[in-house]
Amino acid sequence: MNDVLDVALRLVIVFAVFMVLPLVVGQTEHKVMAHMQGRLGPMYAGGFHGWAQLVADGVKFAQKEDIVPAEADRRIFQLAPAVALLPYLLVLVAIPIGPSEGAVGQVVDAGIFFVLAVMGVGVLGSLMAGWASANKFSLLGGLRTAAQLLAYELPMLLAAASVAMAAGTVSLPGILDAFEWWWLPWQIVGALVFFVAGLAELQRPPFDMPVADSEIIFGAYTEYTGLRFALFLLAEYAGIVVLCGLTTVLFLGGWHGPFGADGLGWVWTLLKTAVLAFVVIWLRVSYPRLREDQLQKLAWTTLIPLALAQIALTGIVKVAIS
Amino acid sequence: MAVPPPPPRPRIPGSGLAKGLAVTLRTMTRKTVTAQYPDVQPELPPRSRGVIALFEENCTVCMLCARECPDWCIYIDSHKETVPAATPGGRERSRNVLDRFAIDFSLCMYCGICIEVCPFDALFWSPEFEYAETDILELTHERDKLREWMWTVPEPPALDLGAEEPKEIAAARKTAEKLEAQRAQEAQQNQEAQQADQAQQKAEGEE
Amino acid sequence: MTLAATAAHAALAAHPAPSGFLSPTGVEIAFLLVGIATLGAALVTVTTKQLVHAALWLVVALGGLAVEYLLLTAEFIAWVQVLIYVGSVVVLLLFGLMLTRAPIGRSPDADSGNRWAALGVAVAAAGALVWVVVDAFRTTWIDLDGPAQGSTEATGSFLFRHWVLPFEALSVLLLAALVGAIVLSRKRGKEQS
Repeated sequence: MNDVLDVALRLVIVFAVFMVLPLVVGQTEHKVMAHMQGRLGPMYAGGFHGWAQLVADGVKFAQKEDIVPAEADRRIFQLAPAVALLPYLLVLVAIPIGPSEGAVGQVVDAGIFFVLAVMGVGVLGSLMAGWASANKFSLLGGLRTAAQLLAYELPMLLAAASVAMAAGTVSLPGILDAFEWWWLPWQIVGALVFFVAGLAELQRPPFDMPVADSEIIFGAYTEYTGLRFALFLLAEYAGIVVLCGLTTVLFLGGWHGPFGADGLGWVWTLLKTAVLAFVVIWLRVSYPRLREDQLQKLAWTTLIPLALAQIALTGIVKVAIS
Repeated sequence: MAVPPPPPRPRIPGSGLAKGLAVTLRTMTRKTVTAQYPDVQPELPPRSRGVIALFEENCTVCMLCARECPDWCIYIDSHKETVPAATPGGRERSRNVLDRFAIDFSLCMYCGICIEVCPFDALFWSPEFEYAETDILELTHERDKLREWMWTVPEPPALDLGAEEPKEIAAARKTAEKLEAQRAQEAQQNQEAQQADQAQQKAEGEE
Repeated sequence: MTLAATAAHAALAAHPAPSGFLSPTGVEIAFLLVGIATLGAALVTVTTKQLVHAALWLVVALGGLAVEYLLLTAEFIAWVQVLIYVGSVVVLLLFGLMLTRAPIGRSPDADSGNRWAALGVAVAAAGALVWVVVDAFRTTWIDLDGPAQGSTEATGSFLFRHWVLPFEALSVLLLAALVGAIVLSRKRGKEQS
């Protein structure tokens, strides 16, 4: 009984985090992006500086009619948002935020592979949406999504593999246990590759070619309205949370901090995640969208060689110190 | 003979990317330019062309404004009244009395010609601009409404340093100075007369 | 997959089986049910006339296999299965399908004339695999209470200690395929230009 309660409690907490953090990131994006453009952003909803804007958006989305295009592949069209969103929920279960046993939803032995595998499944949602919408813009969006995923999955995996080599384990808490501060300069290239590839996998600007609104409306999500559309958006922001959390855990030392590692480890994790989420927003505001050929070129000619070089460096240092 | 290109500046790779990030970060720390209009009223300069106000005491129904208006949005009705002669045997005068003065702001294009052209300063710009209506007919402001706008007309901005004095003030000042001088002269004459009187009395007393 | 199975077999061989054939524990029932679901999904994959549905049913089948690996405590293999097959192979498949003129509904020409031959090959392959696996494992049982025998560490050490030669041979094979693909694509480019 106690075990069941424990599991239920963990799931509830993970679910709460899953529902709250993406909204926090979304609201931060509203405000940060506005101020970076000399605007104020939402100011009304909720009274104080529009803090409840996303709640209001959610209510609005829930009220909208759920439309499925007549020519669409109904079942797949309706299933796609869930396929896009649920993997991030699963990933969140495995991300440790503190050193203690209670600070992670579930310890997964092959943690890195688990999170990367499940994140890859999320993209299937976009592909399903793109294909099932019976819309040429959606189809183009789906194609671009697939091409982007194929290009960026590899550098992401290689960068993650570098950390796994350094730590000698593929379990996320295990990596954090092995973390030393000098891993930061050692793995910095891998960290950059991982973060950039992750951004591309989430289709965040400047890698938002699959949803380029000036060319293909909203890519795979063009035909979606109401709650299903909101689920896709939620998936994007959940993806940001997951990506930032993962980068924190893999490259920035998670709960390790200059001080207070015992009780306040989770604060360090959250802080680093928040800073990374800010960087995600910052990059979105600062850079224009990459063209499709630039996207592919960046992945195949820059990120993959860099990731391979990082692995070589990791191997050399690992052999040298052991 | 092409101009040789300027020597390339030594560039650190990625400096352009960093510059982009710096721009957005700097903008974030600065004050925003958003006007929170319904919550915060805009600070408009006194010359803002918001609405036209009528100071009808100054209006002589000369019809210049109505005639000069490019889109004919000023409506003026008036009649003549005869004023009885002020002095017995004098001539009776006729005077224009304003019956209606209306501006149709659905037609008005805010060119301000009527205000420029008014010889008696009966029309003014006011910066008030919140008079949208749901019915277009209500955009025709009659004289009482135009009169109410008058109370929102701001003071004219102060003159520049060393500017020429406005004519009316110059005229008033001259009149005042003239009066002053006259009074001073009269006072001096009185004083002299008094002194003369006193001197005479003194002389009489000594005798 | 076979390699992994053999590795797992080697890991299991050390533990003699205490239980009988198909003792109805929860894990076994789950294993059987997932197996049936996987088989069903695989059958739908090859029989459905909607091409993209076939690809998505393939996702279900491959995911079912991953669950089977999980139930066999081969956690690492399970996640790699999801990562490679669901995350990459199916995405590539869908990418290819989107480039074709596949309609949203049924494809009229989805049935191949070779289907009987294909069925024969499939049955033969399945028979061979089932026979090999049954012959290799018989009634070997996994001790669920002990340390996970399919953990990343165990798999890694088996792969790179006992089976490093086949592993390298496989990678050379993949490299050959890679080079072949490049050669093919280059040749066609020259003819067109």
